[in-house]
Amino acid sequence: MDPKGEVGGSLEADAFRKLYPHQFYANFLAKHTRPDGRALMQARPVSVTPNAVSSADSSATAKLGDSAAIAGVKLEVAVPAEESPDEGHLAVAVEMAPMSSPDVRPGRPGEAAQCLAEQVSSILASSDVIPRQQLCIEQGRACWVVYLDIIVLNADGSLLDACLLAAWAALRSLRLPSVILTADGNVEPCDDLPQTSSAAAPEGVWAGRMLQLESQPVAQSCAMMGGKLISDCTAEEERLADTIIIIIVDGRGNLLGLIKAGGTAEAGDMIMQQCIEAAKLRQQDLCRLLEDQLSAATLS
Amino acid sequence: MPKDIVSVPLPRKPRPVNTIVHGTRLDGRGPEEFRPIFFSTGVIPQATGSAYAELHNTKLMVGIYGPRPSDRWVGFSEEGRLDCDVKMAPFSSWQRTKWGQSPDERAMAGLLGVALEAGVQRSAFPKATVDVQCLILEAGGSELAVAIAAASLALADAGIPMRDLITSCTVSRVDNQLLLDATSDEAFQEDGGVLLAMLPSLGQVTQLLVKGEWAGSELEEAVQLSMSGCKDVDEICRQVLQEAVQPA
Repeated sequence: MDPKGEVGGSLEADAFRKLYPHQFYANFLAKHTRPDGRALMQARPVSVTPNAVSSADSSATAKLGDSAAIAGVKLEVAVPAEESPDEGHLAVAVEMAPMSSPDVRPGRPGEAAQCLAEQVSSILASSDVIPRQQLCIEQGRACWVVYLDIIVLNADGSLLDACLLAAWAALRSLRLPSVILTADGNVEPCDDLPQTSSAAAPEGVWAGRMLQLESQPVAQSCAMMGGKLISDCTAEEERLADTIIIIIVDGRGNLLGLIKAGGTAEAGDMIMQQCIEAAKLRQQDLCRLLEDQLSAATLS
Repeated sequence: MPKDIVSVPLPRKPRPVNTIVHGTRLDGRGPEEFRPIFFSTGVIPQATGSAYAELHNTKLMVGIYGPRPSDRWVGFSEEGRLDCDVKMAPFSSWQRTKWGQSPDERAMAGLLGVALEAGVQRSAFPKATVDVQCLILEAGGSELAVAIAAASLALADAGIPMRDLITSCTVSRVDNQLLLDATSDEAFQEDGGVLLAMLPSLGQVTQLLVKGEWAGSELEEAVQLSMSGCKDVDEICRQVLQEAVQPA
């Protein structure tokens, strides 16, 4: 069998795909399509489900094609740090569930998981997407700590996109409960105040509220493969890609992050511009999808 | 977040004092009724087999990988190995759990392995290991029993040779009343509990865990109740497997 030749003879497509993956992909890319039938810059179907788990303070699952992640928030209280007495904290962790891929084994979080946690956490921390002052209960005495745990359930590429979407959907539906700050500094849960008498809040009561978020950050993974740019790659495409470019943008047109992970291909101005434009369109799509899902969840 | 910040959870909402009122349980069930059971297979496309299980507030996923060659340190074995791992999501119960295996998870993994081993034909995959990976997304009670049933579904989905499906359920004794498929609130009140796993078509019990003090006749009643419960779960499992292979 000549690896440069056409698919043919007795060699079946599946075997050819395994033996000569680059050639297999090249045959598709030459015809401006991909093995799963997508166009080069076409994303996989997306779905978001808010409030997936009732034991969490808020949660959401996100699916990008076969990639799936679940994010859950647990709230705790703490004394604010001295250098920022009017701010709360956000702690992000990402775990690849052992079932998510044949390569992940149980035990300590692997490199990929730690990398993802760092990326999600820096996206949520670096820009002002989550105003930390909202997490303050009383200056210098008490604040909320938001533990955001993301679990990758199925790892099929573009994991940062999926993790960030799940994380955002969970934060977006997070309601901070009403609490009382007692004289000796304890924070205790209390019933929500009636809406009408909000002016006459009893001493020490911190009224519950939704977390107010700024514009939604969205990550868009692209890859260069054989000189062509493709978006929303599967795990197989990521393995074969010459380089991976991830763009993170928000709805106000700001660029929040750009990751070009090594690789052998260089990405010039044109390519970068193309990725950023794709990311901006993607941000609008995902933002609309999430808002629809959230309003559907509150109506039902 | 700075490392020196120590945070504490809010005090938890008090558990209900009475879990049974006039013969009905807090969620409206009779004493011998299951929570609504939902199983589905093939939820993780990359895994050899997988299953998702949801019984109201108990939600978990199981993924199967293998049979694949055992690690070298395991040594030679004529019989295949089942390697079970159970993981609780950090947000699965009222207090956030830290990553890293807890003693509870280790114990559950061991018990899951024992319950499954009897049903799996391990001689069919010598020198190889089948990995059974369970992730508990929400712990609403009877997690281990649900995990056993879901794992056996996932094994079947993966096409691992088995003698029978393995199903399981729990019975809790609260105020001298036997309750099938206990929630976590009910299990908290119990003064005795039974977990039974069995091969339902063969009528063989693969695991029986008994907690608390039991009189002989009472225990027999509890075992009978859980055996009939296992048969109900089996019916649902078989239906799920049939629907998975039949074109809709």
